[in-house]
Amino acid sequence: MKQFIIIGNSAAGIACAEAIRQRDKESKIVVISDEDYPSYCRCLISYYLAGDVKEDKILYRPESFYKENNIELLLNKKVSRVDPKKNHIICEDKTQLSYDSLLIATGSTPKFPQMSGIKKRGVFGFRTIKDTKEIEGLLPVTKTACVLGGGLIGLKAAYALSKRKIEVKVIVKSKQVLSQMLDFEAASMLQKKLQENGIEIILGQDAAEVIGNGDIKAVKLDSGKAIGASLIIVGKGVEPNIDLIKDTEIKFNEGVIANNFLQTNIPNIYTAGDVCESFDMTQGKHTVNALWPVAIEQGKIAGCNIAGDNLNYDGSLAMNSIEFFGLPFISLGIYRTQAGDSSFEELKLMDPKINLYKKLILKDNVLIGAILVGDIKQSGIFLRLIRERIKVSSLKDRLLQENFGYPDIIDLIKEEKEKIYV
Amino acid sequence: MKQLYYDVKKCLGCKSCEITCSVAHSLTGELFKAINEEILSLPRKKVLSSQGKNYPVSCRHCKDPKCVDACMAAALVFDQAKGMVMHDETRCVGCWMCVMACPYGAVRPNIKAKIPVRCDKCKDKDEPACVKACPTGAIVWQEEILIEK
Repeated sequence: MKQFIIIGNSAAGIACAEAIRQRDKESKIVVISDEDYPSYCRCLISYYLAGDVKEDKILYRPESFYKENNIELLLNKKVSRVDPKKNHIICEDKTQLSYDSLLIATGSTPKFPQMSGIKKRGVFGFRTIKDTKEIEGLLPVTKTACVLGGGLIGLKAAYALSKRKIEVKVIVKSKQVLSQMLDFEAASMLQKKLQENGIEIILGQDAAEVIGNGDIKAVKLDSGKAIGASLIIVGKGVEPNIDLIKDTEIKFNEGVIANNFLQTNIPNIYTAGDVCESFDMTQGKHTVNALWPVAIEQGKIAGCNIAGDNLNYDGSLAMNSIEFFGLPFISLGIYRTQAGDSSFEELKLMDPKINLYKKLILKDNVLIGAILVGDIKQSGIFLRLIRERIKVSSLKDRLLQENFGYPDIIDLIKEEKEKIYV
Repeated sequence: MKQLYYDVKKCLGCKSCEITCSVAHSLTGELFKAINEEILSLPRKKVLSSQGKNYPVSCRHCKDPKCVDACMAAALVFDQAKGMVMHDETRCVGCWMCVMACPYGAVRPNIKAKIPVRCDKCKDKDEPACVKACPTGAIVWQEEILIEK
């Protein structure tokens, strides 16, 4: 009987386990996690901290899932090394487990900037349910908080803290929030929305030091100004958890490098999710797209291939959706171009009065990216145009219209056969 | 398994299906009361036009649903027995990942309600409300197998 090991119990790991089990009822599946919690909706921790989601709704699969699918779950177990030659993994507790195929879906870890005081009690990453519960435990004695970083994690943390009536300031090194997802115009709309709702954003300044003896008192900025806070959440990006393969022949760059079958350079070792560096179809090169839907898709395809399929993965692309205080934002693919680069074409529609902004980026008449603020209903169609690399020359005057939709692309797409329109 | 099909040649784009759908999914179920509800019920289907033809756009309940994969709250599940994508509103956080993922643009956000709207085939009734509402018979409620042959 074969044994498949999946390191990682979040989006990619679960999607992989499910895909294997759908095809193979016999083989043994072992899922290993260094957390002590069954699979949960990682992206919901900020909603949980805010009090918008109760703990019973945070589980991604019911607790019976593992038993029903005959999956062995090993919690609180950290894999320290993969040995591709011997086809086994070695855990921190010295146990060894052998595999026929392995999925590396170890996810990522928050990056902590180097500065004095960053290791103090009261400074948190915001990645796991454990982080969340520790932060929650301090809320009754917290009046002021600082979030370092204006990325998605930082802003979601800031929203949660402000919802819990904590005075929160977000310190952003760059000139805008969400610089990995939005352009300056869209970010300005978001900043305004956040400020209106009591979340203060400090742009263009970086934290230099965490001040306090024992308990945290303040964050000192590089400008010299100090901001009072007794709780700090760090949202300065994440880095893939690749320590377990660093001394092996498995190839990595920022993340573990995957081919178009989600295999590493070792054929029976696959990778998916936040640790996986895959081909990005809009950038035309390998990159890490640490996003929930990407992790699911990769985990699923890796699982099918582990179970014997030969599915091709077209590649990943950046895609994210977020809403703050009733204003939705979606970003797809390439969302910003170099000023003066004439190889790109931008189509724009903007009405800040009603919080509406749409920007589409085209290259050689193919959509390669989009930002949508306020009106997001066509985002699925735009994502499809990007994924299927459809020439939109004939549609340019339609793309930004309010009633643009599926019928406009019906004759252009690669659908095998239209099934519902007769 | 019954599915909704649309005879594009017969669709006049009158949007009777949209109105009926909104009313059928409102709290009161009556037009003149529904328009005064605090959170307006939105239609689960939209009639969009292209090249002189009208297409009611609506959730197809794909067998490999992208929206379910994208749902980070596990609020969406494909129910094999019913052949439908089921939405658990108590789990939904209104992140709009499903809106972003739908390759047909058939899931739409109700921003005010913080809930995406999609066709649920009027699951508690014998047939979807839009079928009766269509004055030209362009909406066909039919066993899947009969059409796909």
